[in-house]
Amino acid sequence: MNCQFCREHMIELADAKLDAGTAADVRGHIGACEECRREFESFSLVLGTLDAIPSDPPSHRLRAQVGGQIEAEKLTLRNQAAWASSIRSAAASPGRRRVPWMQFVLQAAGVCTLVALGFILGERTATQRQLADLRARVDTVGQLVQQSVLQKRPTGDRLQTVLTAATNRRPDERVIDGLINSLAFDPSVNVRLNALSALYAQADQEVVRAGVLACLPRETNPLVQVSMIDFLVAAKAREASPELRRIASDEKANTDVRDSARRAIDLL
Amino acid sequence: MLAVRDGDLDCMGELFERHHGPLFGYLTKLTGNRAAAEDISQIVFQRMLKYRHTYRDEGKFTSWMYHLARRCATDHYRKSSTAPIAVDPSDLAGHADEARSADESAASRDDHALLQQALSRLDRDDREVLLLSRLQELSFAEVAQILECSVGAARVRAHRALRTLREHYFQIQKEPLT
Repeated sequence: MNCQFCREHMIELADAKLDAGTAADVRGHIGACEECRREFESFSLVLGTLDAIPSDPPSHRLRAQVGGQIEAEKLTLRNQAAWASSIRSAAASPGRRRVPWMQFVLQAAGVCTLVALGFILGERTATQRQLADLRARVDTVGQLVQQSVLQKRPTGDRLQTVLTAATNRRPDERVIDGLINSLAFDPSVNVRLNALSALYAQADQEVVRAGVLACLPRETNPLVQVSMIDFLVAAKAREASPELRRIASDEKANTDVRDSARRAIDLL
Repeated sequence: MLAVRDGDLDCMGELFERHHGPLFGYLTKLTGNRAAAEDISQIVFQRMLKYRHTYRDEGKFTSWMYHLARRCATDHYRKSSTAPIAVDPSDLAGHADEARSADESAASRDDHALLQQALSRLDRDDREVLLLSRLQELSFAEVAQILECSVGAARVRAHRALRTLREHYFQIQKEPLT
């Protein structure tokens, strides 16, 4: 046992983290070496003070934020489970048409929109027709969804896909469905905004208006929500009035979004 | 954590309750800044959720957690590009142990503030190895694993850091009050 070995093990000796044999050796050296004894005493003093520095608990903000993250992750898991379930059931019925997950979610959104329309303005028939049309078309969306979201391509790639689609003056149904898809499900606000921008040129198509309307209730970003409302006004989508009224009267909605919805109701 | 990895996210809440206190305490001493310590703690738990699939049943969970904390703290320093700020001694006024006499409490507060000040004068690497070695749940082998060095190197670094801290601490005690 030399002084260097002894000093390098003093922290562990002070914390009782050494095995019995080594601890006895180090203690023995300290007992015999005056310099190491002084070193150990001063180290113990500093370590004791360091350990005694009190630490108040963190604010409630930390618990709230971590709790929110956990809940958000749980929600994502549930959505993934629902999607997997829809895929499994489609695969289990080979005679039936394959149902992409996009359709599963859009159907749910569509039903909500449908109920709202029926109760508020009685425009059920028109909305049903639009949504039925949309559902029929989104059957072809699966490939784009798989490419853009399920395969988790980088945001830059997805944005490039949307921008390329936007330059297409006469996009086919598949491209339009892909843009609606991006608007509905892409995690990037930038991609969603550009998808919406690309859809402006096709705003005269019923399916595009219905698609944007179906995406509006599930959108959470105020910037995209306001842009969608502007789109519906520009497209003169009167069928959006019930959803806009719901947003305008929703106290939990962002103030700018509510104001935008109110203006849109007046304009429509 | 194994349950979290396998999809039981309710267990994440239990992990948070069990470990956020010591983690926050470690990060507060490391950064000398409560707000930064809270931010980094949040990011640590966020990354636990995000990277739960990468968790392997090798070694202790706490080693993994402090390994993540180390990386998060490094990212924090890189982003802020500022050295940790020494705690204002007046911030520690509320930490006095009320069971003691007023004189003893005042002396403790002074000691704590001085040592925190001395701690802030250490290099970040020294502060890190020393504070990790103070965590009762970590052995030096685990500290070495977190720091990605040998056990011997971790011991030497901790010893040197402690010696430097002691020098700063005694020096500050001798400095006249400003």
